[in-house]
Amino acid sequence: MKKNYHLYLGKAGHLTVMSEFLTRGWNVAIPEVDIGDDIFVVQDDSGTLRRVQVKTSTSIAGQKSYKGQFNVPISQLRNNSNVPVHYVFIVRHNNSWNVPLIIRQDYLLDLWENNKIGSVNRGQLNLHFTYAVEKVKCSKIDLSKYIADFSDFPIIDE
Amino acid sequence: MEAIKINVNKQIDGYNFSIAPSLRQLLKSWFPDAHPANNIFVAYDTKSDFELYYGKLESYIYPALLGLDSKNDLHKKIDEILFIDSHTGNVMHKYKLTA
Repeated sequence: MKKNYHLYLGKAGHLTVMSEFLTRGWNVAIPEVDIGDDIFVVQDDSGTLRRVQVKTSTSIAGQKSYKGQFNVPISQLRNNSNVPVHYVFIVRHNNSWNVPLIIRQDYLLDLWENNKIGSVNRGQLNLHFTYAVEKVKCSKIDLSKYIADFSDFPIIDE
Repeated sequence: MEAIKINVNKQIDGYNFSIAPSLRQLLKSWFPDAHPANNIFVAYDTKSDFELYYGKLESYIYPALLGLDSKNDLHKKIDEILFIDSHTGNVMHKYKLTA
């Protein structure tokens, strides 16, 4: 595999997610200075801004499922500002991107603090998602309701 | 002693008060008419102006954040509300509930 392939995969994931938001009628921008947010997603007419962090992974194949591994900095997760971050997790599996899992920061923090999702190592929350047909689990917690959960990004068609 | 936790994040321009989604759900189960908010942002200058005339902001923030009216029975469920610094985990302020 190409050296620094993860950087290529990460950027490809960003662009894939940006494309999805554009398709839904939301404008997108990449901050000129990297301060932790990957994408700004904006509703043009109202100026509503959402911050999006894209997390990409290659897949680890199982018999009837596959896994994706992600890291989220704890400090970022705890920094709950008035504009929460939406985490978009996507996995490159069988030469295509899977359907994204979209979890808002306060929900992910709650899942970690109260449901003990993932494990912490060196200030990073390590998440191992197991994907089966229309199901996603992490630390035995069912996360299927977050599959393609674009409820904070409704389609804008006018 | 039962307590609930309100997260306080000190931002560059003010305080952001928030509660966990699981607490929102719990409040809705206790008080079906409650409308808990995700977060309330208060700029530093607004906070200091407010506190000059009315006293500690936290006493006014929690009913709005928890979405409860003034005649709520929260004191029957919990004893106190803790305002926690979300970065350090330290208790910044305690509010005791009385009947």
